[in-house]
Amino acid sequence: MNTSQIAEFENVSKLYGGGLPGRAPVRAVEEVSFAIPAGEVFGLLGPNRAGKSTLVKLLLTICHPTSGRITRLGRAWDDRRTLARIGYIHESQSLPRYLTARGLLEYYGALAGVRPLTIRRRSAELLERVGLADRSREAIGRFSKGMLQRLALAQALLNEPDVLVFDEPTEGMDLLARRLVYEAVREQRQRGKSVILVSHALGDVEQLCDRVAVMREGRLAYLGPLAELTWDAARGAKRPLEQALESLYEVACP
Amino acid sequence: MTLSETFRTLGWLVRDTFRQSLAYGIFWLLLGISVLCISVCATLHVSGSVALDQGDGRDFLPRNDPDARDAAKAKASGVAIVAGEMSLAFGAIKLPLDRDARDAVHFVELVLAGGVADTLGLLLTLVWTAGFLPGFLDGRSVSVLLAKPVSRGTLLAGKYLGVLSFVLFHSLILVGGTWLVLGCRTGIWELAYFWTVPLLLLHFAIFFSFSVLLAVCTRSTVACVFGSILFWCVCWGMNFGRHAVLAESYEPTHAAIAGRAVQLVEAGYWCLPKPADLGVLLYDALDAADSFGQLAAFHSVQSHGDFHPLLSIAASLGFMLLLWVAASRQFAAVDY
Repeated sequence: MNTSQIAEFENVSKLYGGGLPGRAPVRAVEEVSFAIPAGEVFGLLGPNRAGKSTLVKLLLTICHPTSGRITRLGRAWDDRRTLARIGYIHESQSLPRYLTARGLLEYYGALAGVRPLTIRRRSAELLERVGLADRSREAIGRFSKGMLQRLALAQALLNEPDVLVFDEPTEGMDLLARRLVYEAVREQRQRGKSVILVSHALGDVEQLCDRVAVMREGRLAYLGPLAELTWDAARGAKRPLEQALESLYEVACP
Repeated sequence: MTLSETFRTLGWLVRDTFRQSLAYGIFWLLLGISVLCISVCATLHVSGSVALDQGDGRDFLPRNDPDARDAAKAKASGVAIVAGEMSLAFGAIKLPLDRDARDAVHFVELVLAGGVADTLGLLLTLVWTAGFLPGFLDGRSVSVLLAKPVSRGTLLAGKYLGVLSFVLFHSLILVGGTWLVLGCRTGIWELAYFWTVPLLLLHFAIFFSFSVLLAVCTRSTVACVFGSILFWCVCWGMNFGRHAVLAESYEPTHAAIAGRAVQLVEAGYWCLPKPADLGVLLYDALDAADSFGQLAAFHSVQSHGDFHPLLSIAASLGFMLLLWVAASRQFAAVDY
């Protein structure tokens, strides 16, 4: 058990479907092995259907590995207690529209194992922070998309997580919500906590991440510091991340 | 999770189900039905009732009996003539009494228990609550909950308990409310009427388990609505069929044909839940025989000692447990 790592994947593969006759299984992740050390902002990059979100879902038990071994915060994958130390947002998240903002934080906080008094204190703080304090008793069905995204961020931060997992967090976000995500990531880093960031927004990755893993067709194409990925050794200069990724994809899948 | 944390989580899931029901409007729909029934009961009035339950062995005659025409003679011979009437909607609907006021109240309670709650109410509630689980299990909303430390089994159990609590709450309002109002209006307090609540809840719990399994497998409200109603109909048919075939087999002329069929329907009967048997139990618990005739086949099976209430309930609960195990295993294995 290695507690200095927030996640460890060992020969992890994931096949979807294939249960029905005539439907071939889809290989989302294939023989992936890597570890994410604690205390850093770790980016998961890759084109669509590269397996990034599947890796996150595997880590959070939202889906099950077909083979391989996963450890989370130094404990076995099926030890759900470690999930209490994680905050999670994903891009297409849908929140129950019949709840009020405060009601949602109370409900999700209770399911995350946060104590009632802490929920009350943190809810007030977070609603203030994401600019929803004055609408905390309103049904969130009336909220705009940006407001819902800010509320989703508040629910992810409610348990003061050791690891924040953001799956495409800034996709379609308004400026305020995007700024709040940036703040949350930076604050997490300052506190010595970890962030896993899955993103297509290369600007976000360049600004926030220390290390990255690049996925391509379910396989790991690169793992290392972001600075190393963007360093063009031939020219002896830094290159844009987009260009670095393109050349990496060509090498990985010519 | 500790036991207290699990209970706390279950409490939150139950609470969430009530909020969901309020948002979907189902809470108000069921409350509306209960209020309507309570209001109808509040307009009930019984007049001219003759007390027949005094234990003095007095006979009685309905008013349309030829012997009741000579009232003086009947009175002299100690025979009471039933001449009262029950009115509803403040006298707009008037019904002559067949017996006394207690019997009239009993009749109203039987209609409410057997017709409104256990048949119409049960089916409507199955339909209206069918969307709760698919809505909860939608991939976009449940994935965040699956990333919480709560186990998938607890999430499913919490929602199931939530829906059962919701049904319990509304059945208590319907039964408790009508009982109270009828009691206040007539001074007749039939405690046996409360058997409706546990029997209705048991009935609902069994068939909602099937809806849960469908929800986990398909995440489709349409599948849950039609699937659970169809399943109820199949089970009712099998239950009724078993009693009918068995009743037929008691006839000496049909014994040879029925003998083969009996084995088949017995197998189906004992495997599936038994909604008609729950109806029979309610019928017996409410002592409905004086007001409503029982289906001949059911009566025949009961009188031949082939109706085993406890075994019937145990087998239905066993099937419910199997559905539950299948639903939780499927939910535990499914990828989002």
